[in-house]
Amino acid sequence: MASTLPLWILVVAALVLTSWRARRYAVSLARAPAAARFDQPMRRLEGVMVAIGLHRKMLRKPLSGVLHAIIFVSFFVLFTATIDAFGSRLFPGFSLGVIGGETWIAALQDIFSVLMLVGVGLALYQRYVLRPARFEGSNGKDAAIIYVLIVLIVVSLLLEAAARIEGGADGSWRPVASAVAGLLGRAGISAPAAEEVFYWIHVGAILAFLVYIPGSKHRHMFLAAPNIYFRNLEPRGLAPAVPKQREAPGVDSLGMFDWKQQLDLLSCTECGRCQAVCPAYAAGLPLSPKTLITDMRDALAAPTALPLVGGVIADETLWACTTCRACMEACPVEIEHLPKIIDMRRHLVDEGRVSPGLQDALSNLTRLGNSMGKPSKMRARWTKELGFPVKDAREEPVDVLWFVGDYASYDPRVQEITRKVAELLTAAGVDFGILFDAERNSGNDVRRAGEEGLFETLAQSNIDEINACRFNRIMTTDPHSLNALKNDYRHFGAAFEVLHYTALLAELIADGKLDLHVADGARVTYHDPCYLGRYNGGFDAPRALIRSAGYTLHDMPRCRENSFCCGAGGGRIWQGDDGVTERPSENRIREALSLGDVAYFVVACPKDKVMYTAATDALGATGKLKVVDIAELLVPRASQALDMPAVETT
Amino acid sequence: MNILVVLRMIPDSAGELQLAEDGRAIDREWLDFQLNDFDDHALEEAILLKEAGGAKVMAVAIGEGAKRVLQMAAARGADEVVALQSEEDAMISSREIAASIAAMARARSVDLVLCGVQSSEDVFGQLAPYVGALLDCPHVSGTNRIVANGAMLRVTQERGAGVAVTYELATPAVLGVQTASKAPRYVSGSKLREASKTPIGRATPEPSGFERSAEIITLRLPVQGGSGEILGDNADTVADRLVGILAAKGLARN
Repeated sequence: MASTLPLWILVVAALVLTSWRARRYAVSLARAPAAARFDQPMRRLEGVMVAIGLHRKMLRKPLSGVLHAIIFVSFFVLFTATIDAFGSRLFPGFSLGVIGGETWIAALQDIFSVLMLVGVGLALYQRYVLRPARFEGSNGKDAAIIYVLIVLIVVSLLLEAAARIEGGADGSWRPVASAVAGLLGRAGISAPAAEEVFYWIHVGAILAFLVYIPGSKHRHMFLAAPNIYFRNLEPRGLAPAVPKQREAPGVDSLGMFDWKQQLDLLSCTECGRCQAVCPAYAAGLPLSPKTLITDMRDALAAPTALPLVGGVIADETLWACTTCRACMEACPVEIEHLPKIIDMRRHLVDEGRVSPGLQDALSNLTRLGNSMGKPSKMRARWTKELGFPVKDAREEPVDVLWFVGDYASYDPRVQEITRKVAELLTAAGVDFGILFDAERNSGNDVRRAGEEGLFETLAQSNIDEINACRFNRIMTTDPHSLNALKNDYRHFGAAFEVLHYTALLAELIADGKLDLHVADGARVTYHDPCYLGRYNGGFDAPRALIRSAGYTLHDMPRCRENSFCCGAGGGRIWQGDDGVTERPSENRIREALSLGDVAYFVVACPKDKVMYTAATDALGATGKLKVVDIAELLVPRASQALDMPAVETT
Repeated sequence: MNILVVLRMIPDSAGELQLAEDGRAIDREWLDFQLNDFDDHALEEAILLKEAGGAKVMAVAIGEGAKRVLQMAAARGADEVVALQSEEDAMISSREIAASIAAMARARSVDLVLCGVQSSEDVFGQLAPYVGALLDCPHVSGTNRIVANGAMLRVTQERGAGVAVTYELATPAVLGVQTASKAPRYVSGSKLREASKTPIGRATPEPSGFERSAEIITLRLPVQGGSGEILGDNADTVADRLVGILAAKGLARN
């Protein structure tokens, strides 16, 4: 056929151009430091199947999930048309006819051409009519170019088939193309010439698409699956270690990121689901997890003279993150935002580029082992007001070693709850003890603030103290301590059985060891702490406790995995509110108030008690909503029952 | 330029102070010690001078926890770190240590001695004047900016009411630092861990050369004053209660 040679030239040219446009990425990935992501192939593959085959995360947003699924499936069906279009002319004699290319495959192509147009139509409706805020900061031009190319490919495919039918081909398997053929006939277009023109438009648009992809977010067509396959399979709460071969603790150039971290940048689809759930972004701080990724991606594409940290990514952007992990939970292609932020913070800390508030907290932690600057000897002061002595776990064996944590130990607003927990444990007959002045901050947020060296010092000190004690299990009050002890301390070979106090209390109630007053079913809401829920899967024990105490749980719209951070994590609690337009904690309290029928805002994290009490005060909502720790709802039958405030239902 | 910085360890004021049995000293057994804040600024100023024009910085620490602070000084950029032995469980008297500091400065031909303008155990800021007198060289206290130009120093001294004075003086000199030109930097844990390998020199104290001129007879802890009262957040009731309180004190008519 006369068109074979020109098509070969066109195809080879397009492939060369595509490779040329992708060269920088390929070189960068090839030079990147190693990442151990080749283990557990079956588990990795299974994750890819769920993420792509079932569109699990995609469907959390129903419209985008459905429209993406339509476009995705249509793409695969129409790929047969692409094979046919190129195969038949590059290799004269090639045809899909033998497997049904002119029968059932033709029918599928015909129907899915229309479905593809429906999918694109929905995408246009979403992007240009609904305009979700999560697209803010995404490249609109890139999206528009892709819509045009897809429509061009599909319409030319339909028109080519129509022209063929008009020229006498059998149209019985192509109902849509047959209908279009009728229109072509009425328009008096010459069939053979039109078929040829539409053919070249079709292949031209496909090749243009191919050449365009390396510079477009539509790289995800090729990279999403590998990026999901090579996702992190370590526990979610384990922050990445500093690789041994790295000379400084942090990262200050893109080339220092391992290949998976770089692949993340190339896989981003700019969907903005991360941005939509980010508490820092909602608070007006200069951080969008999406633009964090795309800014680095652009710097990878077109190298710049700016430094990575403090240039491509501003210091304030890095400090804005609460490490709540909502972005990573939302990302459909498993991009890992936090390891990058933590690695860049490590660079800032190493350079001494920290805010005064953070510097104070870290200096206190270095000197005294707590962020408040209080002496170690005052750590167990809260026990003095208990009516019974607390065992010193360093002196005698205990069943449960209670790791109390800084806020629960030192903050006067939280000490009352700490004592409640001690009373509940005693009422249930639990043999427990604490480390007294030997306990140090767990280092969870120190590590996430990028202070790896101080984290190691704190962790090692705690591990040495804990190892010198005799106990069966560890209980923590603070979800942040829970995460450090359970996950981060693995870096030092420490494998402790660690429970959050909500899990231990739920277990005691289930075993009939704790007899509680039962309330009359009053409605309360519950805030899932990031480091208990999203990080460690502790969603059910707190809910079971609320039920056991006789309350009815009315969950907020953002609950469980989608819980909205209070704004205190990752070292944010030690920094100022500069630039914050709405505190995440106040945003959250408004959400609870809008439920309209709850009197208690139940928390299970000492920082939450502090953050949300301040937020209800600031909103003047103390009369409508009372922030209580879950331990305050649990009243042993031997004590006086809790007096439930009246609720104003709106 | 050779710089010597004095780092004094003082009782952590966040801790609970208790008197010794004889009532003439603080019971130091259960106290935490921390670096005197002004000395921290002196160290920062020394490192800034080193960065600006090159200098060799020797840090000399005195008191409990000296080792930890010297490692921190090394991590921040001190070239040599020395622990000066001091009497255990006793306050650091400027009068007592001045001779040792002066002797070290002389032995190493130090051009500039920096120390904090005062400490909680030397609220009158006597260390800089004592060392200056013993070395027979100029001293200025209360500095908030030091610029070196060869052997000449331009030193800005903070005075009351926002007035600042700039002196020009020749080295050798002794300066009592109020604040460094920039706030003390943060040293990361990884740098501290690296610096923990730095060898720490030891120095034995020189006799002060002074006769004891006075003795502490008694020490008293601060008496807890009256506490504040929160009047609530409703403007009307707050106004009523305020008027009531003022009237009760005879300061207003009800």
